[in-house]
This record gives sequence, C-alpha cells and structure tokens, in this order.
Amino acid sequence: MTKNAIEIHKLTKKFGNFTAVDNLSLNVKEGEIFGFLGPNGAGKSTTIRVLCTLAQPTSGYAKIAGFDLVKESDRVRENIGLVAEKMIMYDRLTAAENLRFFGKLYDIPKQKLEGRIDELLELVDMQKWKDTQISKFSTGMKQRINVIRALLPEPKILFMDEPTLGLDPQTTFSIRDIIRDINKSGVTVILTTHAMSEAEALSDRVAIIDHGKIAALDTPENLKKLVSSSDNTVFGIKITNLTSELIEKIDALDCVTTLAQQDHHNLKISANGTNAMDRIIDTIRQEGGSIASITNSTESTLEDVFLAVTGKQMRDEASEKASPAHHGHGNAPKARVR
Amino acid sequence: MDVTKILKDSYHVMAKDLLELKRNRMSLAALFLMPLLFLVMFGFIFPTGTTQQHMPMGLVNLDQGQGSNEFIAQLEVMNKNTSFMDFQSYSSVDDAKTAINKGRIYGVFIIPPGFSENITNGKSADFTVYIDNSNPQSAMQIQQVLSTTVSGMNNMKAEANVVQLGSETNQPVNPQTMIFPYIPNVQTTIPGETNYFNFLAPGLMIMIVMMSVMTGIPEAISKEKEMGTFDGMLSAPISQLSVIIGKTAALCTRGFIQCIIILAIAIFLFGVTIQGNILLAFFMLLLGIFSFIGIGIMAISMSGDQASGTMIVNLLMFPMMFLGGIFYPIQQMPWFMQAISQVIPLTYAADAMRKIMLLNAGIGDVMTQILILVAFGVVTMTIAVPLFRKSMTR
Ligand SMILES: Nc1ncnc2c1ncn2[C@@H]1O[C@H](COP(=O)(O)OP(=O)(O)OP(=O)(O)O)[C@@H](O)[C@H]1O
Ligand SMILES: [Mg+2]
Repeated sequence: MTKNAIEIHKLTKKFGNFTAVDNLSLNVKEGEIFGFLGPNGAGKSTTIRVLCTLAQPTSGYAKIAGFDLVKESDRVRENIGLVAEKMIMYDRLTAAENLRFFGKLYDIPKQKLEGRIDELLELVDMQKWKDTQISKFSTGMKQRINVIRALLPEPKILFMDEPTLGLDPQTTFSIRDIIRDINKSGVTVILTTHAMSEAEALSDRVAIIDHGKIAALDTPENLKKLVSSSDNTVFGIKITNLTSELIEKIDALDCVTTLAQQDHHNLKISANGTNAMDRIIDTIRQEGGSIASITNSTESTLEDVFLAVTGKQMRDEASEKASPAHHGHGNAPKARVR
Repeated sequence: MDVTKILKDSYHVMAKDLLELKRNRMSLAALFLMPLLFLVMFGFIFPTGTTQQHMPMGLVNLDQGQGSNEFIAQLEVMNKNTSFMDFQSYSSVDDAKTAINKGRIYGVFIIPPGFSENITNGKSADFTVYIDNSNPQSAMQIQQVLSTTVSGMNNMKAEANVVQLGSETNQPVNPQTMIFPYIPNVQTTIPGETNYFNFLAPGLMIMIVMMSVMTGIPEAISKEKEMGTFDGMLSAPISQLSVIIGKTAALCTRGFIQCIIILAIAIFLFGVTIQGNILLAFFMLLLGIFSFIGIGIMAISMSGDQASGTMIVNLLMFPMMFLGGIFYPIQQMPWFMQAISQVIPLTYAADAMRKIMLLNAGIGDVMTQILILVAFGVVTMTIAVPLFRKSMTR
C-alpha cells in the first residue's frame, strides 16, 4: 500500500470575503507527480502557499509528509522544497552565495553543503557561473539556480509553481528532465502549470481546479476519455474567409462546448450532440463562410478537457492579456517577476 | 525550536543582509553621507555659542553736549575690544528707523536732548535703544551685548564716582567691593569651553541610529516580501524571530558605523570632547534600538507594503525627532510638548547618552532611563512580534 505524501481535508483559504481555496480535499501519493491545472486566479498558487506554511488556512487541515500543517509547521518545512511563482534569489549575491545562505537555514553541515552545491550546479550545467552575481543571469539561468535551490535540503516533497514559465524550449525541457529525475529518486512533486502538454507529459495525476474547487481529478488519460467519450466530437475546420462575426455565430450555437481559434483560418471546435457537426457546417454556409477542409481530431487533448470543465469565460480579464485565441488558452505568456 | 538554532539563523540572515549592503554602492554611499550631511547642516544652521560680530548699529545724538560725547567715546572704546557692533551715525530718529526698515542696521542708540544736563545735575541719564526684533536671534544678541556693554560702562562710572567720593571724605575705599560685594565663581560640569555640538552630538547619534533602524525595518522586510525571497526563508525550518533578529542586527551594524562617523566628525571637525565611557555609550545605543524597534515592526505588520510602512514610520519619527530633546532642551518647551516628550523613548535614550558622553555618568546614574527604555522595548515587542507573525502568514 502506498502512503500519502499529502492529505488535504476540506482546506479553505479566504482573503476577507473572497474564497481563494474552497473546501479542497485531495490526497497525493508518495512518489507521484501531481499536476494542478486551472485558469488564472483559480487558487493554485494560494493552495501551494498554504501547503508550504506560508499562509494560514482559514479552515480545514492538511498533513504534509505525515505532519500537521499548522501544529507541526516546523517539521513540515524540514520536508519540503519550494519553487515559487516569484524566484527566490538575491540579485546582488552570487549563485553560490544564494545557495549557501539557504542551505545554512536547513542546518546542512558546511562540508556537505559545499559538496551538494557543486553537485547541483553540475546537474543544471551551471558550474561556470558559480561565483557570478544573479543579476547578470538570463531568466533561464536564474530559474535553473532557483530550482536547485529548492533541491538543496533533499526535500521529500517538492512544490513547483509554474516552473517553466517564460523559459525557452531548451531550458523548459531540461527543467522537465530534472523534475522526472528527482521524481525517480523518490521525491513527490506537486506542479502547477498552464502548459497542458507539460502537465500531460509529466503528471501521474492531474487536478483541474476552478474557483478554488476541484473541477476534475484523474490521470491525464482518463480525463481525456471523459471528454472524447459520450457524444462529444472534436474537430478542426479551415475557413478561408474567417471573420470574428462568424466565430461568434458558431460559438453561440448551444451544441458548441469549446471553440479555439488557432490562426487566421483554423478553428478547433468541440461540440455535443448527434447532429452537431451538421449544424455547425450549416451555420458556416449560411453566413457565407467557405470551408476549405475539416480534420477530425481522433483524440482530444488535455486542453479540451480543461476548457470543457472550466468553461469558456476568461478569468480576471483585467490583469491578464488575452492570447490570440478566441478563448483564453490560459497559457498566455506572462512575464516572470525578476 | 531551540535558542542556539534561532541565534545561528539570525546570524545567517544578518550576514546575508550585510553582504547585500556591501554590494550595493548607492546604499553604502548613503550610509556615509547621511550622518555627514546631518552634522554639517546642523553645525551651520544652529547657533554655536559664539556671538555674532560686527552687527550694524545706528547712533542718533540729539543732545550734542559734553556728557553725550563722552558716553559715545566710551561706548566705542568698550566695543573696540569685542567688535560686536559697527556704528553709523544718523542725524534724526526717522532716518535711523528707515535704515532699520531697509535692513541696513539691526538697531539704533538714541540719545535724547538734555542727556548731558541730566549727568551734570546728578540725575540719571536715560537713553533709548530701538531694536529690530523681526529677527529674534540678532535682537537677542544685541540685547546681550548691550547689557554687558552698558553695565561695563556703569561700572567704570561708578568706580570713578566711588574713588572721588572716597578721596573727598579722606577714606581709603576699594571701589570693587563697594559696587559688587557679591562675586559668583562659576564652575561647569564640563571643563573648558563647550558649544552646541556637545549638546547635539550624543542626541544626534541616537537619532540617526533610530532613523536607520526604524525606516530600515519596513524597507528590509517589505522589499523581500515583494521580491518573493521571504518565501524562501519562511518555507525553511527557521523561526520568524530569526528573521527579525537578523534583520535588526544588520541594521544595528549599519547604525553603529554611522555613529562612529558622527563621533569622528564631532570630535575632529567640531571640537566636541567626550568625557564618558564609549562602551557604555554604545550599550546605550543598543538599548535605544531595542526600545523603538518594536514600533517599526508594528508599522510594517499593520501596513503590508513598503510605501505605507515607510509612511507610518515617518509620521511617527518626525515628532520624535523634535520632541525627543535632540535639538532643543526639553525644559524649554511648553508644558504639553514636554508631556508628549515624556512618552517618547528617544527622550530617555538621548538624555542618557548625553549624561554618559558629556558628564561621564556611570551605569547607576542612568538606571532610570535604562529601566524605562527596557520597559518600552518589552511592551512594544510583545505587541509587535505576534502581529508580525500573523502578517507573515496572511
Ligand atoms: N494575499 C492576497 N490577498 C487577497 N487576495 C489574494 C491574495 N493572494 C491571492 N489572492 C486572490 O486569490 C485568487 C487566487 O489566486 P492564486 O494566485 O492562487 O491563483 P492562481 O491559480 O495561482 O492563478 P495564476 O494562474 O494566475 O497564477 C486570486 O483571485 C487572487 O486575486
Ligand atoms: Mg499562480
């Protein structure tokens, strides 16, 4: 029987009247990579902050590595590592000085600490930059140091809040490799991301949360089945004279569950009902759209699941710039702080 | 969590903060320039104890008799040694008043008609001194100079009269003991000459440390909070107390460096002499910091972000600066200001510092102040630390 690394029971976090995390209950098994997906403002970061003892839960309780989140917060902190939304690093210190400072807070003996620092720098291929100030680093270099900083105390559980945000594909892949490697060595990983492919590629299980509640929780495969089964059809359609009015018309059809514009001509539509395809094509013809091709998606992606369970509305529209897609993909590029 | 771990972590936090400071050239420059600016500013703005010389004064002689000419001659002789005043004659009172209004002279001596006649008739010879008191500072100085000059002249006149009376009655007299039977022998606590800096320097030292720590705490904490680095410390197994102690210790180190600068400038540039025990003085500084650090922590705990934290601190600091008896003696303030100054820790810290540095007071002499400061510190810290903890995990 596998033990649970994290047990969350009816966890609630309120900011004044606003409920950011709403009665959340879930377990994460030891050795799992657990993905948190959800629109902006869904409460992913807040959940992670509460689980890292950085914010007091309003009600409910959680056990991290077997320790009570509130009553044994010191023991909890000894067992976790955190890669937060903002990078945890001092710009004016060198990579080694940063790592040394945080290492000392974990009471790692001096010699062991130095060895560990070299080892981790090697892991992310940053030995050359050991004695360079962080302010001279690129985002990718910073994030590599930021990730190994969390690994210094050899945590049992690693929390990663959007670890690949703003990184180029090379660094993204190397970070993903590191996540897989440390997971193989027995570390439980809790991961939030807006990159669906990342969640799909890494996670053993995924929870999609919305408005602080779990909207869906399962393995990526099962989640995808959830959408593609029943009478749901997903297909791509190419319209040579695509206009935004036309998109709105299609979107207004009640059989359309999600619609995403992929470029100037291509739409990806997922629809419900037996004659859904016919109705959509009819509508396009009526509006004078000329269809160049229709491609049937054999399999739905996690993105379809995401849009299906969280709806089409964009969250906190004021603070996030919309992606070019007609509906917010959620993975609109946003600048990493620092 | 045990005490050694808390202290060890505090040390790591302090060392980290100081390393960051060392790498920040701007902060380093400000660290050195602030005390320098303060001292030089106050050094030139405030009166330094020496009286202004060559104050322009008018003379209007409406008498033109022998007595008045003698009087003026004597006045000029008296003034020659000190050169406090420069005289300028005017033919009428109106002319002189116009000159005052134009700011050419600070005041005017008006000798009325009949002045000489009064002297020869044995009456008192009155004259008027008209002073421009729109500038209270120089008005006060003129009055001082005037009273010493006139009493010197009266003295000379009296001596001559007494000697004359004595020779008339054939009695040997000592005019000095006749005119001034009482002679005070003034001794001061601080040997030698003192100036305003003696009063200012100890208070300024404690004030700069206070400013350093009080504005530094909200800044240091909210900066890390906003940067996100705080999450790194707080998700590590360390006590929040270590963060407070470490940051305070780093700020204290900064404050101490500034104190040494102040002390050096005060001694070498402004001739302040230190009588007391420097070690005790630095202990007092530390105690002063302990007494007001709680207020800084409260400010940041209640405000949340750097801007409002700094604002609250500034709001609190200004009355403290002026009512703490750093620049003006508290005894010279109106009663309600005095009452307020009694609840400001800086008052006691500055008072104790002055006693230690200037009067060579021992620890027993400033025990009252020490106890009050400790009480201040304990009370504010017991409120501040839980507030801080709560604000950290909001
Ligand atoms: N300290 C705070 N005070 C008040 N409201 C907060 C605070 N922190 C977060 N919130 C609110 O709680 C909600 C959840 O925020 P959270 O950062 O957890 O979302 P998220 O799922 O991580 O979103 P994103 O994908 O944009 O990172 C948001 O509406 C946010 O405005
Ligand atoms: Mg987030």
